[in-house]
Amino acid sequence: MSEPAIRVEDLSKVFRLHTERRSSLKEIVVRGRSRRAGSFQALEGVSFEVPRGTTVGLIGHNGSGKSTLLKILAGVYRPTSGGVVVDGRVSALLELGAGFHGELTGRENIYLNGSILGMSRREIESSIQEIIAFAGIGEFIDSPVKVYSSGMYVRLGFAIAVTLDPEILIVDEIIAVGDEEFQRKCFDHLFRLRNQGTTIVLVTHSMGLAAELCDTAVWLDHGHVRAIGPAPEVISEYLGAVNENEALSNDEPGMIRAGLDAVRSGSGEVQVRAVEALDQLGRPLPVVLTNEPLTLRVHFDVKVPVRDVTIGIGFIHENGTGIGGSNTREHGVPIQLEPGVGYIDYTTDRLDLMPANWRMSTAVRSHGHVYDMLEKAFPLPVRSSGGSTEGGAVRIHGRWGAAVQEDSPSTAPSAATP
Amino acid sequence: MRSVRYTPPLWRQWNLVWNFAQRDLKSKFKGSALGWAWSLIVPLATLGIYTVVFSFIFRAEPPDLGNGRDGVFVLFLFAGLTAWTFLASSINGGISGLIGTGALLKKIYFPPYAPVLGAVVAVGVQSLIELGLFLSVLLVLGNVGWSWLLVPVWAAVFTTFTVSLAVIFAVLNVTMRDLAHLVTIALQLLFYATPIIYPLTLVPEHWHSVPLRVLIEWTPFSQFIQVFRGLTYGLDAGSWMSWLTMVAWAALALGIAALVVRRRGGDLGEEL
Repeated sequence: MSEPAIRVEDLSKVFRLHTERRSSLKEIVVRGRSRRAGSFQALEGVSFEVPRGTTVGLIGHNGSGKSTLLKILAGVYRPTSGGVVVDGRVSALLELGAGFHGELTGRENIYLNGSILGMSRREIESSIQEIIAFAGIGEFIDSPVKVYSSGMYVRLGFAIAVTLDPEILIVDEIIAVGDEEFQRKCFDHLFRLRNQGTTIVLVTHSMGLAAELCDTAVWLDHGHVRAIGPAPEVISEYLGAVNENEALSNDEPGMIRAGLDAVRSGSGEVQVRAVEALDQLGRPLPVVLTNEPLTLRVHFDVKVPVRDVTIGIGFIHENGTGIGGSNTREHGVPIQLEPGVGYIDYTTDRLDLMPANWRMSTAVRSHGHVYDMLEKAFPLPVRSSGGSTEGGAVRIHGRWGAAVQEDSPSTAPSAATP
Repeated sequence: MRSVRYTPPLWRQWNLVWNFAQRDLKSKFKGSALGWAWSLIVPLATLGIYTVVFSFIFRAEPPDLGNGRDGVFVLFLFAGLTAWTFLASSINGGISGLIGTGALLKKIYFPPYAPVLGAVVAVGVQSLIELGLFLSVLLVLGNVGWSWLLVPVWAAVFTTFTVSLAVIFAVLNVTMRDLAHLVTIALQLLFYATPIIYPLTLVPEHWHSVPLRVLIEWTPFSQFIQVFRGLTYGLDAGSWMSWLTMVAWAALALGIAALVVRRRGGDLGEEL
């Protein structure tokens, strides 16, 4: 096996915590140097190697030490003990346009930022036309960057970063801010670098991206490496732990109450109280998983007898689009209700909603009359048990056939022979 | 395999330093109607004010020019002021330059002295303009001599001294923010404790049995300024002792600067 591109050996980082920073001379003179009130161990005994040409994802919850590790790899922080050695030219992209000076024009900032990123004047000059074209900000290139929109700012920062030709790239997912098109450009660039054989270290919260881009993943938990290995396995393990944690923090598992901002309308003879998420055995389901069986139990109060009632449920994606729904009338279930409390179940064998923070609406009506309506009232976080690479809001059903090559002589003997 | 903090040798970092210098220079004059002209107007105005105060009101007597003509106070002052402005502006510029680049040091690693060097280079460009102006006037007056050839040597030693001081104060100021204010006061005090607006001969030899003139004469700042004024205005190459003193001060400052960068420079990304 070849030499690794990055070797992290028993790396630890301790931040000193001053109860009160005494950074001024007066304070030091008057009150003495601040005692080291405490320290915070951001990383402890982290070791791993990144083979040349592979992409590694750093995953973990907030505060797990991902960003600290990234900054040490980028050289911004020094390790307290242990060390990092690299084999090749390292470029770090922790923020786009970080070195821009507002008074300078875009063109002048290209020179400044390029030199900060370690490019020589000749390298910058040979690629400046390419940078300007890639940024696509037109005549603004000769205006001071202080008049730029935030979108133009990151586009220019990214255009400079693209021309870097690093052997090792340290990159933070948050560089992909901005509109969809820009995000796609960023990720396309990462894929291109990866295919060229650049070694990439990526911090990401998107398990989909991690599964798609990374060969291996390092799961950090409170400064320790909790798991390291092939990306899909580590990601599933991580998501499993996250889902478990979410379940533990829920004191009323499975019960979904209307949010505080919910607006109820309707005449109120029947009112929906809550929705309960259950698994196929009728047990409360603390975390709703995509592609798994789900029963949604709609609990309601009835005040006066009602006839010919339709109960409906709707699913709204986190981006606000109503994706679909179902109601009892479509399924031919006639409902007559007497005063009291009750519930009705809606069951699916495989939840086709993709991971997102969904919301549910409920409606109780009869022949156009609305008894009760709660729009987008119930939060329904759908999670995944593995990093999914399929995008979108819902799963589309269908099958793929085997790939057939039509012009290959070995597999397709000429059918035209008489 | 190498460390992630690979730092190329100093001369390979010129592009970065020069870009920081350009940033300082461009942002200083951007948006003003007169632009670059200010880099001449401001020193000339300062010179004019001091001249009015000291040659008309206090009636200071400047020493004779090197070619034997009567002394010209404006030129006497110009020599000292040019050198002093370079020193003081470099230190102040270095301090604010490093603080101003703080956000960047949290995102990208580069040697922390690079923005300080950039600030000194930016100041140096202006000082060179002033120096050119000064030498042109002397040329017109026919006050030219072989001692001028030593000006570049003097400039190299003085720049080393100035850069080192700027780096020391800029790096230390990150952890002790009061330093910037102390430096402002100290520079003001030193300005008057250095024979810039007055010739050394004006200082009483003894003051309550304190050998005041000797004290003032041998401060590092006095040495640099007197030698420079000697080379240009007085056409005097300066004594071996003076040159040795200057080189010794510059070497000491450089050593301290290297030490400060090694001890404190590494973790500025966390402290800023």
